[in-house]
Amino acid sequence: MNKNWIGMAGVAAAAVMMTGCATTPTVREVALDRAPITSKLEPQDVRRTVEKMAESLLSAPGVREAVGNTRPVLDVEPLKNRTTQHVDMVSITDSLRMQLLRSGLFRFVDKSTSGTDIEFMDSQANLGLTDQRKAIKPGQQSAAQMYLTGALTEIKNQVGRTVDQYYKFSMILKDLRSGELVWADEQEIRKESVKPRVGF
Amino acid sequence: MKRINGLLGAVALAAGLTALTGCVETAGTVVTTDHTTGSTVVLEDSTRLRGQVQVMKVNYDEVNGLKRVHITLASTRHRRLRLHYRIIWFDANGMELDPDTKTYRTLILEGRDAVTVTGVANSTAGVTSKLRVRDLEAAD
Repeated sequence: MNKNWIGMAGVAAAAVMMTGCATTPTVREVALDRAPITSKLEPQDVRRTVEKMAESLLSAPGVREAVGNTRPVLDVEPLKNRTTQHVDMVSITDSLRMQLLRSGLFRFVDKSTSGTDIEFMDSQANLGLTDQRKAIKPGQQSAAQMYLTGALTEIKNQVGRTVDQYYKFSMILKDLRSGELVWADEQEIRKESVKPRVGF
Repeated sequence: MKRINGLLGAVALAAGLTALTGCVETAGTVVTTDHTTGSTVVLEDSTRLRGQVQVMKVNYDEVNGLKRVHITLASTRHRRLRLHYRIIWFDANGMELDPDTKTYRTLILEGRDAVTVTGVANSTAGVTSKLRVRDLEAAD
């Protein structure tokens, strides 16, 4: 009787251990706002920053004063990355531009795609495929009246097994004609990670 | 025989505890404010969170043509609380606006302290706001 029980327990234990021998990793979708897993900059930090910056800019009294009843043309310059990490700054400014575009407060131009604009206009003018009455001629594009730019900085400290990481996103909105800063804000993020005493 | 029963009991207890680690409550407190009528509804779906955080005050205004809501949350505990909150917006037809752009933000609430959280609709179509507060452990 006892031997049977012990045998069954042995089989069960072996079966449980074998489940760890699968070669394919387990993959599942997780929420966009997941809990932090490292002290580095993570997608949820970027999402929070973009949301905060968009809300701050849209609700700033100085912005309404500068914008008035017009919809000024705005360009968004990629943020400068002054950290030691690789962060896709263009992706951050793309997200911010998307949120501001939905507010209807601004019109946008994109300097980064000007090269493609020239290629299109050049091919329309020179390849002989386009009806020249319908071809888009250079020199008609809107000019940016304001631009949005900023920087990401970090301070990292390590004491023993504890890593303290601080990030700061700073952004400004500048009026190109007057040179005045219409809006400025910053978002701070501080994370701490503690390495395990024993690990490989 | 007694030893085997004891062993089986221990195995069952371990299996039960393992199964329970996945049981994190993700329900929380929801504050819905209709900015056209001014009505506010507070739903406290988590008994645990209800005992930790209270909704003290709800104010709303308009800035640059966009609706804005301010909600004051107060801790009823003496220790530090780590929470997540998110404010989402709905249009006049009850459709959620840009659901993927409104993120959960971290709120660290000191003992017996009160903090006001603010949300701005990023479109003039937003007329109803919904604040959702959850325990930090509810995050994946």
